[in-house]
Amino acid sequence: MPSRRQSRPDGAGEAAGKSLFAGYETLPKFYDEMFEAPGVPRPHCRELCDALDGMRPAEIAAMQEYAERSFLHQGITFAVHGEDDAQERIIPIDFLPRLLDAADWDLIERGLRQRLDALNRFLGDVYGQAHILSDGVVPTALVRGCPQYRIEMQGLRVPHGVYVAVCGTDIVRTNDGFAVLEDNLRVPSGVSYMLANRRALKRSLRNLFRRHRVRRIDHYGVLLRRTLEELAPSGVTDPCIVLLTPGVYNSAFYEHMFLAQEMGVELVQGSDLVVHNGFVYMRTTEGLRRVDVIYRRVDDDFIDPLAFRPDSLLGTPGLFHAYRLGNVTIANAPGTGVADDKSVYAYVPEMIRYYLAEEPLLANVETHLCRDPDGLTYTLDNLDKLVVKMVGESGGYGMLVGPHATPEERAAYAVELRKNPANYVSQPVLDLSVAPSHTDDGAAPRHVDLRPFILRGRETRLVPGAFCRVALVEGSLVVNSSQGGGGKDLWVLSD
Amino acid sequence: MLSRNAQGLYWMGRYLERARHGCRLLSEQIAALEDQPVEQIDSNWRRLYQALDRAPVAGSLTPNPDDDDFMLADAYTLSDDLTFEPNNPDSIRNCVARARENARQVRNIVPDSMWSCLNLAFLELRDTSIETIWNDRPDMFYAQTENTVRAFTGIAESAMYRDEAWQFLRLGRFIERAQLLAVLLDAQIGLYPTDDHHHESDWRSLLYICEAEFAYRRLYSLQHQPRRIVDFLVVDARLGHSIRHALAELIEALDFVSGGRPLEVAAGRRAGRLASGIDHDWPERDSDDDAATRAALQGIRRSCRGLHDDVAGTYFEYEIEDTP
Repeated sequence: MPSRRQSRPDGAGEAAGKSLFAGYETLPKFYDEMFEAPGVPRPHCRELCDALDGMRPAEIAAMQEYAERSFLHQGITFAVHGEDDAQERIIPIDFLPRLLDAADWDLIERGLRQRLDALNRFLGDVYGQAHILSDGVVPTALVRGCPQYRIEMQGLRVPHGVYVAVCGTDIVRTNDGFAVLEDNLRVPSGVSYMLANRRALKRSLRNLFRRHRVRRIDHYGVLLRRTLEELAPSGVTDPCIVLLTPGVYNSAFYEHMFLAQEMGVELVQGSDLVVHNGFVYMRTTEGLRRVDVIYRRVDDDFIDPLAFRPDSLLGTPGLFHAYRLGNVTIANAPGTGVADDKSVYAYVPEMIRYYLAEEPLLANVETHLCRDPDGLTYTLDNLDKLVVKMVGESGGYGMLVGPHATPEERAAYAVELRKNPANYVSQPVLDLSVAPSHTDDGAAPRHVDLRPFILRGRETRLVPGAFCRVALVEGSLVVNSSQGGGGKDLWVLSD
Repeated sequence: MLSRNAQGLYWMGRYLERARHGCRLLSEQIAALEDQPVEQIDSNWRRLYQALDRAPVAGSLTPNPDDDDFMLADAYTLSDDLTFEPNNPDSIRNCVARARENARQVRNIVPDSMWSCLNLAFLELRDTSIETIWNDRPDMFYAQTENTVRAFTGIAESAMYRDEAWQFLRLGRFIERAQLLAVLLDAQIGLYPTDDHHHESDWRSLLYICEAEFAYRRLYSLQHQPRRIVDFLVVDARLGHSIRHALAELIEALDFVSGGRPLEVAAGRRAGRLASGIDHDWPERDSDDDAATRAALQGIRRSCRGLHDDVAGTYFEYEIEDTP
């Protein structure tokens, strides 16, 4: 992993005397979130720019250091796959916030509501009558052959038709505007970092907040709880909600703990749950207590060894049976992965037109499916210009960034690709927008994306905010936390 | 409360009490290294290892009385073994690490300040080694670590709501304390018979380990009478580190978690029997007979283990058919 910037809280170094943006260079190729031209901030960023420019870079560095130390002390950490020594790491915070004006957010919010609506309808359809398949809008083989398609869900009715109760959608901005990079419909994570980054900034930059009319996001836990309550099995008035975690060694354990605390619900592991006579109970010191809604942060495979992976030690035997009986709600529902498969993703705009008879408000990224002969040929011919992804992977794993790879790496990747083309999709390398990030030499442009979280119960809800990820390494387009990305606070401004 | 959470809190209480006890034993031992004769240092190491129920590092308990350097190197190895040794499950670092691991699992139900306190202690201990503390001030290290545990206890006292979470934490802490005290006293009498008057400083150091020296001095005298000390540490419920006090605390905790019906659970009945044994049978034993005293202490230790099994069987790992 490339080394992270070194902060110098004492202000040593060339930047000590300069103002924050003195050496900032906008990059002509990329949309800059803060500057519309060199030295000219966008209207909604002007005030912040002035305020920040008055601070010494060393001050920002010191605040950043303080925030990161407090993340470590509070255990706001995540674990990286395949790393033993650094079992718990923080997601570095970049203290310069990214601003979105009211109009931009409005578009994003409407676009996300529309998208999640269509995706839930799609799931209800493919696990029901499958009209969209028989009408030939989405290829049947693509859906039924998807490893995330769960035949066990066929014909099952879920409360309010909600399969995806919590969705985390990755959005990027290019020179052509906003586009959805992917939908995370299984167990999206990152919302705790959104809230932690906001808390850290609020502590240090309290005055700026007030002046900017930043919309608040701290009620996320309340909205999540309300959403889950609405999804309780019918007839249950005061549902017992639990958050199901794989346990303390899971990379997102901190978030599970945090959300359970925010919602005031129990944090359980599979072994805490027992299925008895078709109902789910948790084991308490006072005996068994009935559970009505499970917000699970465990993959489908590990929910119930009887229904899915028999070798799983994490699950609760019989849980899926209780679910089928309608005695418990599992959110998100099993089998939602069929809608965020990277090949199925390509059809989301069609789904929106099909179910809602509307044009998509947020664009998709142009995607070539290697399962189609044309897509495969195109991908292989343009490997040096494309980003290739494996359909079932996430977190930046199994990905090839063509222009940044060596010819040997591309050749090796092509060999794997040919073996199983259906497992791959390719997209153009996106000109992700940049935002000023704090570095030792003052502010510098770095690529960013954002992941808002959308909730769906009886109605759709979202807080005006997102986990904004930033590629801290100069020139890098990879924002994933597991690949050296950091986080920054996103300020959605009210009108 | 979720059984696993109750279990986590219970073990957190036990591990921290164990870590604190280890710090106390070692800081007394480090102080002894400075001015006590070699034989005494040696027998105190034996007391320490027996009190922790661990076999000493091979060959390390046969020091050469003529060679002071050798003794110090030895203390270094032994302290490392008891403080940092990764394979010693009860080393101080492992106790803190496990307490913190448990705290991590239950941090959604305890105040943040408790978690932060333990997490900081863990992060510091993780980056410390015997070399560092030995080159610096080992006595300070043990004092600081002990103070961290005390701070944690203090934070829990002031910040925790007195619900089941609090009671299970308390239960673990005091079952551990009663058991550790019984084992320590047994080892003490085994090494220093109560009718032998040549070991006054070893009895004084026992009082120090149990944080009882101050109270003893005020209540009794400057004369350290072994039998009086044993009685003091077993029977006097006003002494924080007496077995009877630990029992009073854990009985209160059991009273709460059993919903005010402690006699309906096995642990409540056992704790009650144990307490009345100390109140009635203990004074009636032949206090001149060290073997009888040790047998009684071993009985207390067995009862503490039984208490643990009772608590686990009733609240943590019960069969589904007979839920409480």
